[in-house]
Amino acid sequence: MSPTEKPTTHFGYQEVPVDEKASRVADVFHSVAARYDVMNDLMSMGVHRLWKRLTIERSGVRPGHQVLDIAGGTGDLTLKFSRMVGPRGKVVLADINASMLRVGRDKLIDNGVGGNVEYVQANAECLPFPDNSFDCITIAFGLRNVTDKDAALRSMQRVLKPGGRLLVLEFSKPANPLLSKAYDEYSFRLLPRMGQMVAGDAESYRYLAESIRMHPDQPTLKAMMEAAGLERVEYTNLTGGIVALHRGIKL
Amino acid sequence: MLVTPALLLAGCERMLNALLARDPAYPQRLDALAGSRLLIRLEQPQLALLMAFHPSGIDLLRAEDIDETSADAVVELSPETLSEWVSGSSVERLMFEGKLSVRGRIQLLEATQELLTDLDIDWEGELANWLGDIPAHSLAEGLRRAGRWGLRASNELMADVSEYVFEEGKLLPGRQQRDVLRDHLSELEISTDRLEARLNRLHRRLTQRLSQGDSGS
Repeated sequence: MSPTEKPTTHFGYQEVPVDEKASRVADVFHSVAARYDVMNDLMSMGVHRLWKRLTIERSGVRPGHQVLDIAGGTGDLTLKFSRMVGPRGKVVLADINASMLRVGRDKLIDNGVGGNVEYVQANAECLPFPDNSFDCITIAFGLRNVTDKDAALRSMQRVLKPGGRLLVLEFSKPANPLLSKAYDEYSFRLLPRMGQMVAGDAESYRYLAESIRMHPDQPTLKAMMEAAGLERVEYTNLTGGIVALHRGIKL
Repeated sequence: MLVTPALLLAGCERMLNALLARDPAYPQRLDALAGSRLLIRLEQPQLALLMAFHPSGIDLLRAEDIDETSADAVVELSPETLSEWVSGSSVERLMFEGKLSVRGRIQLLEATQELLTDLDIDWEGELANWLGDIPAHSLAEGLRRAGRWGLRASNELMADVSEYVFEEGKLLPGRQQRDVLRDHLSELEISTDRLEARLNRLHRRLTQRLSQGDSGS
């Protein structure tokens, strides 16, 4: 690479300059924010709710805890966490995208959530919180959209309290080759069409399918979490490895 | 598969919260419990279930690696005891029988039981949302009348049957009478056997005498 060339990163299958990825991802989510929940239900046939439920079960959150939900999107996890931490605890819903944050905030207010939830527009790579602030951090289907994943994991490790847990719920690599084939067909052929029909935006959903393929697989992400300073990192494959839940502890 | 139990639990949670939401008095009762966590450990199948109460309902979560100190009360029981407990058996009685072991705030267990057993679901209100006030009221009234009739009919049937059994029972012999009758019957059986043997003997003697008479002439 010549010194004049800008460093690049992947955006789906395309290579884009590093400083462009965040704005491109933002465009995708501005475009899908309004129909995000409907599309999630449709694309995963409702199973995403069970994946999130398992994340909550593994989080070990209890009354009085401080929880950070990064890339919290439309607030599915925050809603449940806000009930679990009670009035003594606090949940921070953070998202880099203002549209998603607005949809999430409206949804939570409609569900009667208030008081113990704060909304922060923040970049996961440089979280605007003091060190050792949270008992639990979750990032569900958000890490693959982050430009510098290592920096994001380091930042999360920094704001996590000693003994706190980081949970990463993200699309991953299916273990079974047959399932992998079926999944490819589904995500490259059917998904963009569904996106076109329901949200009127095939491109964003093509990006979704491509970004999933570019995301590190289970052992790589585990190694990345360990490199960021997390310990006792373990992962659980859900639905045959289409999604994996990684959990690490800061000791 | 990990997702299947989560699906079952999600279904239970949804049903429970939907039932609670039908009870007009539930917000006050849930408010009293909000923030409490009850850990239920089932023996067979081995399952740890966390009930977390909040003002808008109950969260049911699996809790395999939970720290017990984070729950307000921990209860260990078998599935049979769980069904007895949910159907309203006294917690003290179950504890004295050794079917239930509780650590922590025992009152939470009683409060949970009350919450589940004292559900007063406003079915008529729900029907009214679908059918309108007047049809829902007439339907509910009809169902209530049918229910009352059913209750009265079953009470009357029970009373009639018990009266019949009581009255007819008088005509049946008692145990002692039956024993006396059996003794008499045994005696009769022995006497008839004896009579039969005697008749056989007489018959034999008669045939002997007849055969001797024939040979003598």
